[in-house]
Amino acid sequence: MNMLYVLIPLALVLLAVAAWALLWAIRSGQFDDLDSQGWSVVLDDDQKPPAEQLEAEEEKP
Amino acid sequence: MTETTDGTCFHCGETIPGDTELVLEIGGQMRAVCCSGCLAVARLIHHSGLENYYRFRQRLGSRIRPDVAARQEAWKTVDDRMSLWGTLRADGDRDLLLQTEGIRCAACAWLIRSHLERSRGVRAVQVDTATGFTRITWNPAQTRLSEIAAALFGLGYTPHLPIASEEEEGRRTVRHDSLKRVGVAGLGMMQGMMYAVGLYAGDALGISSAAKGFLTWVSLIVALPVLLYSGRPFFTGAWNGLRNSRPGMDLPVALAVALAFSASCVNFFRSQGEVWFDSVVMFIFFLSLGRHFELVLRHRNLQAGSALARLMPEWAQRLSHSGSETVPAADLALGDRVRVAIGEPFPADGALISGTTEVNEALLTGESQPRLRRQGDSVVAGTVNLSQPVEMEVTAAGNEATVSALGRLLLTAQARRPDAQGMPSWLVPVFIIAVLVAASGTWWYWHLAQPERAFPAMLAVLVASCPCALSLALPAVYSATCQRLMKAGILLTRADALHDLLRVDTVVFDKTGTLTRGYPEIQRVRLNTDRPEVDQEAVLRIAASLEAHSAHPLARAFSAGMGGAHARDVVVVPGSGLTGNVGGKIWRIGNPRFVLGDDAAGQGAVENGAIWLADEKGWCAVFELTDALRQGSRNAVRQLSSTGRDIHICSGDAEQPVAAIAGLLGIGSWQSRLGADEKLQVIRALQQEGCTVLMIGDGVNDGPVLAAADVSMTVKGAAELANSTADFILTTDSLAGVTQAFAIARQATRLVRQNLVWALVYNAGVMPLAMSGTLKPWMAALGMSLSSLLVVLNAARISRRADESSRHCALPGAQTQHS
Repeated sequence: MNMLYVLIPLALVLLAVAAWALLWAIRSGQFDDLDSQGWSVVLDDDQKPPAEQLEAEEEKP
Repeated sequence: MTETTDGTCFHCGETIPGDTELVLEIGGQMRAVCCSGCLAVARLIHHSGLENYYRFRQRLGSRIRPDVAARQEAWKTVDDRMSLWGTLRADGDRDLLLQTEGIRCAACAWLIRSHLERSRGVRAVQVDTATGFTRITWNPAQTRLSEIAAALFGLGYTPHLPIASEEEEGRRTVRHDSLKRVGVAGLGMMQGMMYAVGLYAGDALGISSAAKGFLTWVSLIVALPVLLYSGRPFFTGAWNGLRNSRPGMDLPVALAVALAFSASCVNFFRSQGEVWFDSVVMFIFFLSLGRHFELVLRHRNLQAGSALARLMPEWAQRLSHSGSETVPAADLALGDRVRVAIGEPFPADGALISGTTEVNEALLTGESQPRLRRQGDSVVAGTVNLSQPVEMEVTAAGNEATVSALGRLLLTAQARRPDAQGMPSWLVPVFIIAVLVAASGTWWYWHLAQPERAFPAMLAVLVASCPCALSLALPAVYSATCQRLMKAGILLTRADALHDLLRVDTVVFDKTGTLTRGYPEIQRVRLNTDRPEVDQEAVLRIAASLEAHSAHPLARAFSAGMGGAHARDVVVVPGSGLTGNVGGKIWRIGNPRFVLGDDAAGQGAVENGAIWLADEKGWCAVFELTDALRQGSRNAVRQLSSTGRDIHICSGDAEQPVAAIAGLLGIGSWQSRLGADEKLQVIRALQQEGCTVLMIGDGVNDGPVLAAADVSMTVKGAAELANSTADFILTTDSLAGVTQAFAIARQATRLVRQNLVWALVYNAGVMPLAMSGTLKPWMAALGMSLSSLLVVLNAARISRRADESSRHCALPGAQTQHS
């Protein structure tokens, strides 16, 4: 039972870390847009055009 | 390789003009687009490898404005203005918040994010699909403001100058704070529950007093930050209510939380009696959660409204010695000279220094007839220049301009927004006094009967009576309904209108611009049978080439045939028509008296709005024009009349076209040639007969009628003044929104009724249990919180169904992809 006196304070420390992480995430705006992030899984293709081609396109006009 | 041949633009879905042949290859197929603007956007999207946008978008893109280039140039003039750069971050970057027009679905958000995040100097991009606010973290040392704007323009979106962003920045902070409080309370609750289970199990199975003391200690430590941080709004709210002698819902909450916590502390340090730390934390968590949901929904509505409130022009054409430059309207100073093009609003108060024009002052006076303004006359910011490009000298700009009328309009528009108070304001103090009386009565009774049960019973009464569910019942549904309406392309500006809409038994339509599109199209071409050499295609081409030189609204009907021929020596005769040389012959086009001269009566020609075309030898063709029906109007009228509602048309237009449209739609009751006040009389007469009237209109002259009707609705492209008096604003081209609004209102009213019944039954049912002492405080807290949550979730059902319907909308687009 004495283990409780170690584990519970340890849990409290973890709790503080979790709370800090959550507050940081909220502050940096990670919860602002919950709709469109889910789409990026579907929309982002692995086969993007190579960067050079992109730049060439931009220089043309 | 197939080509989409349904005649609509691949990007924006508008009809492609006959002479336009713009195609590009996307996704292995040739796609036709309607204009060079759409072509540029589609090409950029294709070349950036972002074609997936087209596969997954749920709504079509918006048509590219013709003045994109000018707007883009204008942004360059504000590049060096640091006040527009956004808020400075600790690392030197800036957080820029741009209200962006044209964002319609999650695919838009993805497109903007993917494209912008690749450009130089942009660190991060967030897009709020519901409100169209785009947050861009960027480095001014590496890129320019105008380049960011240009990137948005390039994708077919229109960013607005960041002026309204301060408000939104404030709202974002409020939202973040609220979410942080919910988060902290949630973490605290999970921990607190764990220790509470230990304590309850210990009570049942036996526990050493040292372990019990330790667990209680830990509970206290966990509850304290929750109480002080997450619970703070309740205390400040209660205190503010007391100070203004208008106690609100926060008072019983704050009282219950404070009493429960302090009594628990006392019991803990006396080492006897119960502790209620778990109840305190749970209570705060669920309450904060409910309030957070409500806050988010309310902010969404506010933002949608602020886009609508843009009545003042954003940019102005300032004249200088070297020419003219486009500057933000807010920059204009006393004595600046400004050019105002046709159809544009005056950006500031001022006096005309050159030109004579007609000005639409409906915004100020409510009168739809344009007023003639000559050199030296004064004009007011926000009124619209109608007939001639003019120059003016600014006499009052910015905040000093006579925008008081605009301000009034805005304020009334905002005051009519759904309010957060779910309960009538007189009921709140009565309710709170009743709760306090009941709580102290309970304490008094138990104090005399069984003193040790007095405190828990009183606490249970305080918690159980919390009318959270009751006060959330209406706002939660209204907020969710607004969102659902917004997804269907309908903006709601007055919450009560939802309820009123269901009582409507009479629907009055305006004709021009509401039931119809508001601009003419060629309905029929009648050729002169005595002239076998003319054919339909040729006369259309000739007419188009002549009308290309005219700014008259009727000329738009001929634009489809444009590009085939060229007219020279064109002379415009105001009020009559045009003459010009096409293919070596002199042609006349216009009304019969002008085209045929004295011969008009002999040809049986009457002034019925038809356009005649003649060459030197005589007339060749007659173009009968009609104002085409707006998409969905047939359906809307049919559905409204099938549900037993009377339908009328009140139009300012002439008898013949109104009768034609009424016949087409099967509407028996119509009136023509009505002025704004006559329309008003019609509505009043209907109301005196006991009808509840829904008015659907679009023009400035409909403004007073819209305000007088029981419920009012405007269609896309309606005048700002009409919009500002409307309860519902349709933002899609189709009239399908009318029937959708009815369906959603019906559903919303049902949800409100369910919520109110539930909240009342719960509060009434649980009170006796609490007073009799059978209900423990933690049960009361749990029950109350779950009941509030139930009300919010029930309200959210209305939004979920909207998602399903939008998925259906997406299907046709998906099919063309695979065909």
